Amino acid sequence: MIQLETIAKQYSGRGQKLTAFRCEALTIEDGEYVAIVGPSGSGKTTLLSMLGGMLSPSTGRVLVDDVSLYDQSVAARSAIRGQKMGFVFQSFNLIPYLSALQNVQVPLSFAKLSAEVQQQRATELLVDLGLSERLHHRPAELSVGQQQRVALARTLVNDPQIILADEPTGNLDPTSKEVVLKIFDECHQQGRTLVVVTHDPSVAERATRRLTLVDGNLVDSDEIETSTLRPASAA
Amino acid sequence: MNLRSIIWQELKSRPSAVIFNSLTILLGVAALVAIRHVTVHSEKEVSKQLSNLGANILVLPKDATLQNYYAADQNGGSLPEEHVAEIYLAGLSGVEQVSPRLNVATQVDEHAITVTGILPQSEVEALASWQATTMFMNTTDTGCCQRTNVVSAQQLASPQALIEHRAIQELDKNAIVVGADIAAKLGCKAADRVELFGEKFTVLGILPTTGTVDDGRVFAHLHEVQRLSESGATCNAIEIVGCCEDAAGSLVPQLQELLPNAKIVTISQVVQTQVGVNQLMAKTSWIVLAVMMVVGGAGLAGAISSNVQERRREIGTLMALGATPRYIQQLFLGKALLLGLAAGAIGCLLGVSAALIVGPAWAGVSVTPLVGTSLLAVLLATFVALVAAWWPARRAAQLDPCICFREV
Ligand SMILES: Nc1ncnc2c1ncn2[C@@H]1O[C@H](COP(=O)(O)OP(=O)(O)O)[C@@H](O)[C@H]1O
Ligand SMILES: [Mg+2]
Repeated sequence: MIQLETIAKQYSGRGQKLTAFRCEALTIEDGEYVAIVGPSGSGKTTLLSMLGGMLSPSTGRVLVDDVSLYDQSVAARSAIRGQKMGFVFQSFNLIPYLSALQNVQVPLSFAKLSAEVQQQRATELLVDLGLSERLHHRPAELSVGQQQRVALARTLVNDPQIILADEPTGNLDPTSKEVVLKIFDECHQQGRTLVVVTHDPSVAERATRRLTLVDGNLVDSDEIETSTLRPASAA
Repeated sequence: MNLRSIIWQELKSRPSAVIFNSLTILLGVAALVAIRHVTVHSEKEVSKQLSNLGANILVLPKDATLQNYYAADQNGGSLPEEHVAEIYLAGLSGVEQVSPRLNVATQVDEHAITVTGILPQSEVEALASWQATTMFMNTTDTGCCQRTNVVSAQQLASPQALIEHRAIQELDKNAIVVGADIAAKLGCKAADRVELFGEKFTVLGILPTTGTVDDGRVFAHLHEVQRLSESGATCNAIEIVGCCEDAAGSLVPQLQELLPNAKIVTISQVVQTQVGVNQLMAKTSWIVLAVMMVVGGAGLAGAISSNVQERRREIGTLMALGATPRYIQQLFLGKALLLGLAAGAIGCLLGVSAALIVGPAWAGVSVTPLVGTSLLAVLLATFVALVAAWWPARRAAQLDPCICFREV
């Protein structure tokens, strides 16, 4: 469970303060599939960063499973991310000098798993995603869709409870987009929590709940009854 | 995957950046190692030459350098042999032994050798008594506190005296004394016959190895060498042994007055010159060190800084995947460590190679690799690299992970 308590985030630059996000209270239950929508500059990425323990709010607390993230040390937050969270990026953020297989092994290396276990788990996941022929290719040698699948393998390899995605389909063609959304649906069915920032209505409508941001304010929070897929527990 | 393999993969992906980033440190280490090698060996050479050079005053042609003398080089010009007699005739107090030398290059069985003509002491003494009616030589009135350099005719009897006392009592016109290296090359031993300048000579003895230029010389009678090389009654240097160091000091101005066309140097001058050169080399190597620290370090610091800047999104991503700030810091420190080690090791190899070539060619000293100096240079380069990367690495570690969401 993720909880925000009286959060505000201000950026100061050029002598003036800008409040990029504020919110009195917000709770995201385990297993929820949340879409965050809103115009550019409305604070979506700011919110996602704070949920992920990557950006300290100016005031307020973020609780993940009742642990207040920003009362922890920076290293402890890194550990929490490594154990509980998986991130999906618009431009995949693959490490350019590592092969597909090596990229997927990186999160496992932070968990101090042995080289054999790392290799085995990463290979399995990549094979599942249809990349068995591309294990030793560098990101630059992969198509965009393949890159996003490698990135998804890296996100999922640690079996994260929470998945945080920022415009995950922004750079993808319709086919690749569908692959990503399918994987999200599967994650949702497996009971993981998903928070997906998106511009795209067709992405947002797969979620079970939509948060709308305008100028850093949460203006709308609606349950989407028409969602095609519901978690098993909620059915 | 682990920290080491990530660092290694990144370095491997851009080999040219690796070379450019560490080039200054590499060259600094190379220069430092080369200079230190030459300096250390040149210092050893000086003390070796000193211990082998019994004479405490040298009379050289005006334009000759000490280098000419050490190298038995004929390009330094020549002196008339008469100077030997003139020195005796002047009756300068404190003169203990005078030996003229003439160096001539020749070939024996395709081996290039230097033949050094020397005058046996028996003939010098005869010359002296024939020339001079004055009281001289071995007078007790020398002003010396201790007659440290006095040797007897007996001590000069064997060919070995050429090394210990720079003179020999008797040397027949058809006899030669052969240096150790030459003897080995020619495969000759005492009583063998060797052909020089088309004439046969009998080997009187072989000198023991000294590690000096003497090993590559053949000693023969001065007048024979003069005759065979058609150089007339000349020599390249006159070595004078004073009865002690003090006497040598006071002899110099008197000799200079006596022989205005010659150059008079004392061994202490030789030492001072060499020591001066060595000190200069030592100082230079410290300057090189300082330059390497500042320029190499600053260059690497800049390179690591821009590397951090370029890889901000990657750093954020690694943190999103669970990397701690400490890990990020180690990522860059580890990279600097590898660069420093590599630059140090390669620079060291280059420096030692340069010293091995340049030492004998330019400074006339033979150089062998110094393990301690080399290890120290590698450590130093590594240390400089780590210091240079310290701040950029810290800044990388302090980045907010949320930059992973930033598009370009
Ligand atoms: N590091 C920063 N410094 C200053 N202002 C920032 C920073 N990051 C974001 N902002 C501002 O905060 C607001 C919200 O940004 P962001 O969360 O990126 O919006 P979105 O993701 O919805 O496009 C924008 O006005 C943006 O200019
Ligand atoms: Mg954004």
